[in-house]
Amino acid sequence: MFCIRRLASQVPNNFFFSRVSFIGTTQSLSSQQEGAALPVKKRFQFPSTPKVRYPLWYLKQERVKYNERLTDENKAFIKEIVHDKYGPPAIISGIPSYQLNSPLKTEPLARGEWSTATRRCGLIARKIGVYPMWDKKGNQFLTTLLQVVDNHVVKYIPPEEYKPILRVNRYLRPNKYGCLIVGAESMDPQNYTKQYTGLFNEAGLMPKRVLGRFHVSPEAAIQPGTPLYATHYRPGDVVDVRAKTVDRGFQGVMKRWGFKGLRATHGVTKSHRRGGCIGGGSKKAGVWKGKKMPGLMGNRMRILKGLKIWRINTKYTKIYVQGPAVPGECNSIVYIYDTILPLRKTYTKPAAFPTHYPEEDEQPFPEDLYDEEAHGLESPTIFFEEEK
Amino acid sequence: MSLTRTLRQGLWQNIVSARKNVGDRNLTRMISSSASTKEAQKAEEKKQPESSATDLMPAPALNRARFVYPEFLPDPKMEWRNLIREKLERSDMMKRRRNIDIPEFYVGSVLAVTSSHVHAQRKVSRFVGICIQRQGCGLRSRFVLRNIIDNLGCEIEYYMYDPTIQKIDVLKLEKRPDRELLYLRDALPEYSTFPLDMEPIPLPEGSPVPVNDIKVKMKGRPWTQKWEKKGLLGVEKLEISQKNLIRMARAAKPWEKHDLMLEYRKTIPEEEQKEIFSEVYSELHQLELTRRKMKRKRMFVKPVKSA
Repeated sequence: MFCIRRLASQVPNNFFFSRVSFIGTTQSLSSQQEGAALPVKKRFQFPSTPKVRYPLWYLKQERVKYNERLTDENKAFIKEIVHDKYGPPAIISGIPSYQLNSPLKTEPLARGEWSTATRRCGLIARKIGVYPMWDKKGNQFLTTLLQVVDNHVVKYIPPEEYKPILRVNRYLRPNKYGCLIVGAESMDPQNYTKQYTGLFNEAGLMPKRVLGRFHVSPEAAIQPGTPLYATHYRPGDVVDVRAKTVDRGFQGVMKRWGFKGLRATHGVTKSHRRGGCIGGGSKKAGVWKGKKMPGLMGNRMRILKGLKIWRINTKYTKIYVQGPAVPGECNSIVYIYDTILPLRKTYTKPAAFPTHYPEEDEQPFPEDLYDEEAHGLESPTIFFEEEK
Repeated sequence: MSLTRTLRQGLWQNIVSARKNVGDRNLTRMISSSASTKEAQKAEEKKQPESSATDLMPAPALNRARFVYPEFLPDPKMEWRNLIREKLERSDMMKRRRNIDIPEFYVGSVLAVTSSHVHAQRKVSRFVGICIQRQGCGLRSRFVLRNIIDNLGCEIEYYMYDPTIQKIDVLKLEKRPDRELLYLRDALPEYSTFPLDMEPIPLPEGSPVPVNDIKVKMKGRPWTQKWEKKGLLGVEKLEISQKNLIRMARAAKPWEKHDLMLEYRKTIPEEEQKEIFSEVYSELHQLELTRRKMKRKRMFVKPVKSA
């Protein structure tokens, strides 16, 4: 998502008007020259879509930290102003952040009706480790811990205004889904550029280190400035997790594609880990496209689908999902979505729609929420009943 | 970001403290419970009056805790560390410890583990054996018990915090001079044979854990590993061929014992250990006291009035 880190300022001016437009901005195309002599009936054509369209949030993020020669008093003053505007520093779900003072400037968006076709917002989390759990039958399994860090909705773009990048208007019906931009991990605004911090002004938020976009149905839109919690999901829900895989660099075919290699003995010299023949003779003629060869491995976005949520910690906003195979290293960012697998999906209204608002709860949630089949370690030892 | 910063700070502090203690590097060491570290322990105990009063935890308590509860210290691998996860893991471990009494034991102790088992008769299985390995940390910590049953070597690995474990009894509390006793697989069978109805051998309260410096006799070759190269202390002297001696000398890395960074990467710094144990030690200590009380109750036989 953030792989293209090209600056708007680096692109030449005429390039903008010819091929590039920004999502969410209205682009007025100049109409045909007036005063044409003969009205010729032209065939209807869709307006040409620009080939490169950077999303709204592709801006230079971090600022050059040159020495500003500020006195200590000045620094303290800036800090004071930052805290006045955004709230005092606080530890939220175990991570240093800022206590926002009521970021909702306007009335919340009207909440829509849920239907089976509704697509909900997701969450941005950090993978923080792998951890064993036990079920009620005493079986052990591994779970991955995902910490939802300080998530806020930054912006909502309705479907009429939203033009995704990879979209060929000619073949698709009008856009069904709007775009919800979500940010995670509040940071000090002094470290970020003016344009980047400007993204968060409207929602009244601190600049966020990580941004992500989720395609949502208009009825599942959430007011910008709303915090998102781990309780957006409930134990027993099934989710998909999208993240960058571990970067393994340039690897040979044995590691990258699982080839067998050649023999260890019997006259093989210096090619024990090579792939062997790569092309056929006669009509096959040479190397076919897509041949598995050595190359860069990992560092790609991958989605792991159908992970069950076993446990949720509401204090540190953690989600325990099934299995140790969530892509990426420890302490890396992952994106969580409702699953798209048709047999794992629930076709009932989710417990939190469009998201969970803790202030509306009658009673606060307990610290740990477990799935029905999971065994919490605070419950007593497992005994099996003897058959009679 | 803050995590890496604190880790870096910790790294720097440790380098500084390591520089101070170049002579006695055992100070910043965390090693599993082996008797070879006993001297280091003693040395530390001697030094305790020097430690400042502002410490989070008294030095003798810390020295004891790191050997009795080694699984509370996280994996020192920097890439896998996350302070919040570790904290949650510790709280989960404490939750389990409130339900079951996990006693102090070491590699070389003889244990009896009773656990729920679906396929066992009466749904309960009990296994007695010598602990030959302890590994992992946090909820993944586990130990291996070995015994010989019907002339067949049997080993069972148990997760320490497995909720199906009903009871862990220490039948004989002792240490061995080696970190792992995997060589018992290639030793004569009498060294890993223990009767299933073995009576617990009580140890007087307050006495130090004895080190059993028995020399084990090995079977003839072939072995599962090249034991002669491991420098084992609990084994009768093994013959090494001249060829292997030369090879070992060539492969030796005598400089590694001076490598401070290697040591640092393998261990959790002392300051962090203090922080970790100060969080859980008081409760662990309470649990231990109640366990002792229960034990005394069990051992005490009410005298019968005669005549």
